[in-house]
This record gives sequence, C-alpha cells and structure tokens, in this order.
Amino acid sequence: MNTLLEVKNLKVRYGNIEALHGISFKVDEGEIVTLIGANGAGKSTTLLSICRLPPPEAPRVIEGDILYKGQSILNVPPHKIVSDLNMALVPEGRRIFGNLTVDENLKLATYARTDGSEAVDRDFERVFTLFPRLAERRKQRSESLSGGEQQMLALGRALMSKCSFIMLDEPSMGLAPLLMYDMFRTLKVLNQEGMTILLIEQNANLALRFAHRGYVLDTGEIVAQGSSEELLADPEVKKAYLGG
Amino acid sequence: MQKHTFTISLFAGIFVLTALAQFGVINQYLQSVIMLMGVNIILSTSLNLVNGYMGEFSCGHGGFMCVGAYVSSVVTVLLFSKNHILGAPLLPPSLALFAFPLALFAGAAVAAVAGLVVAIPSFKTRGDYLAIITLAANYIVISAIDNMEIIGGPRGFMGMNATVHGMEGLLDIPWMLLWVLFGTVFTVWLLRRFVTSTLGKGVPAIAQDEIAAEIMSVDTNRMKLIAFMLSSGLAGLAGGLFAHILGYVNPHSFDIMKSTEVMVMVYLGGMGSLSGATLSAVLFTVLLEVLRPLEIWKWVVIPLLLILLMQFRPEGIMGNKELSDLFPKLKKYYSFK
Repeated sequence: MNTLLEVKNLKVRYGNIEALHGISFKVDEGEIVTLIGANGAGKSTTLLSICRLPPPEAPRVIEGDILYKGQSILNVPPHKIVSDLNMALVPEGRRIFGNLTVDENLKLATYARTDGSEAVDRDFERVFTLFPRLAERRKQRSESLSGGEQQMLALGRALMSKCSFIMLDEPSMGLAPLLMYDMFRTLKVLNQEGMTILLIEQNANLALRFAHRGYVLDTGEIVAQGSSEELLADPEVKKAYLGG
Repeated sequence: MQKHTFTISLFAGIFVLTALAQFGVINQYLQSVIMLMGVNIILSTSLNLVNGYMGEFSCGHGGFMCVGAYVSSVVTVLLFSKNHILGAPLLPPSLALFAFPLALFAGAAVAAVAGLVVAIPSFKTRGDYLAIITLAANYIVISAIDNMEIIGGPRGFMGMNATVHGMEGLLDIPWMLLWVLFGTVFTVWLLRRFVTSTLGKGVPAIAQDEIAAEIMSVDTNRMKLIAFMLSSGLAGLAGGLFAHILGYVNPHSFDIMKSTEVMVMVYLGGMGSLSGATLSAVLFTVLLEVLRPLEIWKWVVIPLLLILLMQFRPEGIMGNKELSDLFPKLKKYYSFK
C-alpha cells in the first residue's frame, strides 16, 4: 500500500494558543481513516491545516510537515490543493452556495478542471446516480434543500472536482439517522471504487464501524490508534467515546 | 434571424439615434442627456461587478473614473491641442479619429492599474474595512490631481474639444454620441460575457462564501484582482468619455459625491443584475434632469427616494434577476449567453 497522506509531528497554533501538540498519522491509498475525538480535540484544525484555508480561519503550522504522495504541501495554496493535487474537502457546515441551484453548485466544482466536457458530463451522471434526490432537484436553489440533501450536494460537489482523496468534516452533523446511514453507505461505495477517505467524526461508533483504521484525538494529541476492530474493543476508547 | 433580433435592433437603435442627432431631430441638450446616460450605464454596471456580483462594498468608483478622464484627456490634448505646458499638437487633427479610441484605452488601462490600490488590500481585508480603503483611494486620486499644477490642479483641465473637432473635420457626424453608445454596448457586453463565463463564476462564489470558493479551487486572490481591475478599468473608460463629452474636467466632479451617485444607481437597480444596473442608470439620469428645476433641493429629494426604496424594496428594482429571468420570452430574441 502506498502512503497517500502523511502528517508528521504537526504543531499548529491559533494566535498564541497551540491547538495541536505534534500529531502524526497517515492515510494509505484506498483506505478509509477516521479521526475521532470530542469537541475541541483538534479534529477540524487538522483538516484546516492540511487545506491551508485563507485567513482569518487559517491555523498556523509552526512545526512538522504534511506530505502528500511524498511531497510537502505546506506551501501549496488552497485552490491548488484541489486543482493540482486532486484532494477535496467537504467542510464542516457544508458551505454550499445557497443562492445557486444544485446544478450550478456542481458546475462550480469543475471550475479548475481541464479534462474536457465529456469527463465532466460523466461525473454529473455519476453524482446523480449516487444521489437520485439531487437529480430531482437540479434546478432548485440549494438553500431550499433539506439538511440531508445539502450534505449530499456538498459530497457531490467534492466528487465533481475530480478528486481521488476526500476529506470530510463531520458529515453526519445535523442529519437524521436514516440519512446518516445512507451517506456512509455511499461513502463505502466510493471507497470500493478506489476513493481514499479521511473522515472526521464525533459519532465515534458509526465512524469506526465504517473506517478501516482510526486515530483518537484528545486536546491536540493522538491518544490511541489502530484498526477499527482494535479501537472498538479498546476499553479506554469504549469508556470515553463509545458510551461504555 | 429571430435569435439575432436583439443584436440587430441594438445596432439599428445606435444608427437611428446617431441619424436623429445628425439631422437635428434631437437637440444638443437631449444628446448630452443620452451621452450622460451611457456614461452612467458604464459606471453602474462596472461597479455592479464589485458591489453586486462580488459582494464587496467599493465606494470609490469616482476615483477610477477620474484617473481615466485625466489620462485620456492628457493624451488627446498632448496629441491634438495647443497647450501652454504640453506644447503644440504632435499629430495633425485628421488622425484624431484613430487616436481617440487609443486614448480612451490608455485611460482605462491606467485606471485598471489604479484599481490595484484597492485590489491588493482586498486579499486580506473585507467588508467595511475594504470600504474605507476604497474611500481613501478616491481621496488619494482627487488630492493628487488637485496638487498637479501641470494638468491644472483644482482649476481643472481642458482642450479636449480639439480632438472632437478633429473627428468632425474628417466626417461631420455626432462622433461623441457614437463613441458613448459603442462604449456602453461594449461594457455591458464584456461584463455579461465575464459574469456568465466559467472563470467569472468565481466572482459570485467569493460573494457567497470565500472559504467554500477556495475549496472549489477558485483562486480568490486572482479573482479579486480581475474583478477590481476590470471594474476600475471600465470606470476609467467612462471617465474618458465623460471628459470628452464636456471638453473640460475638474477633479471635484469625481469626488465622493460622484461615487455615491454610482452606488445609488447600483443599489437602485439591484445588486448582481446587469439589466437592473442599466435600467437604473437610465432612470437616474432622467430623474436628475426632471428634478433639475429643484436645483440643489434635488439632493434632498433623491436620497429621500433612496430611503423609501430601501424601506419598501431593499433588493432594488430588479433584485438579482435579469430582465430575461422575469420575461423568459425575451430569450428567443438573442443567442448569446
């Protein structure tokens, strides 16, 4: 297995406050890896550091390195991370463009693609096959979609950017359980087609059932790691995150 | 044929207007109102790119117009008039027709570069803070020109008529009217092409959510640079036309009052709507003329209308819709995007 993403001893600061105290983890190609942890453990910070989103939200990396396919990406601007490295982020709170229609949102994701309209059309087909609900609402303004549909749209948008690696920040947030399972089933299908997935989740139980491996973050440090089975069986993890 | 109806009627309209002016059917006064309308359309549609489509709040549009006006005027005066500082004309008046568009272009280009003063800070500054920067940019331009004795300083600058006369010497038709009409059509066409292009989609994306735009691989800094420079460049074009319509420019015709006028047109028409901005520029120009008998009191009446508008229709006349969204049947008559 090739290592796709490797985070090495990452220390990150917001102003004077250190949010990550040197975490290391890796994601292999074709894997589903999850970072779990409580609120404020540093999960989202980790993702934002990988994507290097613009200020003022940007956390500042003060030590360590982030390697993607063996290359450091610390100096790659965020828009290049999507267009040149084929990574995609489904951000916390979805951040879809509310006043654009479903179609337009998806089209916007192809903004930097240069591989021609045929490939784009194929990806449109794929997104609408995965999410038939979106196909029904193509012409609808996306702010009028339900929370679950908006999450589908956020994921669909990531798929339209021709990515081979998706990072998801709390995709289950605010979703009804049924929709949540649907979402994860879709992610599983994508993974079987070869997509590598890094998943950040508060719902540790669900995340570990779905991922191959996991890391447990606590106040900026990784306190446990291993295969999902190991973590699910770990008495400490069970006690702290899985409800006994 | 039907698909080209709009384009054909547009050019037919230009032709008819020019002909009417040529044969004296519409008098000088009406002509100047029409020309002012054109300039206002350029100003309001170009500011709409930044304030409407990109969701920023630029209130220094007059400054860029000023840059364009002065640069193009200096170029034409240098080339075609006798000026006590810039010296004798460099070219014979018969070349005025060919040099004039180049002078306009020079004005627009320099104004676009001046737009950098706002574009670069916009990378890290947003909203109210950027608005203050644009205000400062406007003041910088006005004060700088006020202090340049070589181009007249606060007394203003003139001599542009020689170029207009040069063009009329070649062929006696109302050239300025023609240039303004072409400039207006060009501006609206260019902006329409830009905002409907794939590249241009990045502009409303920035307005909605800069972070989301960035993860959709929109290079937000580059987009802001393009939008601000395009907007200020077109304001420069409007300035160049304005200067040659009047034949005289004064730095204080481009101060914050002018910028406010342009903003009023944008918010009156509806943010993010080119047809709205066009419509409101026409209405606003007419309103200014109709209320002329009120003299300075019109500046009480017009802001009052604005207050009422914000109370009862805050999204402006058109909202963020185009005319073709309200009347889909219009789409039959044109084939462009």
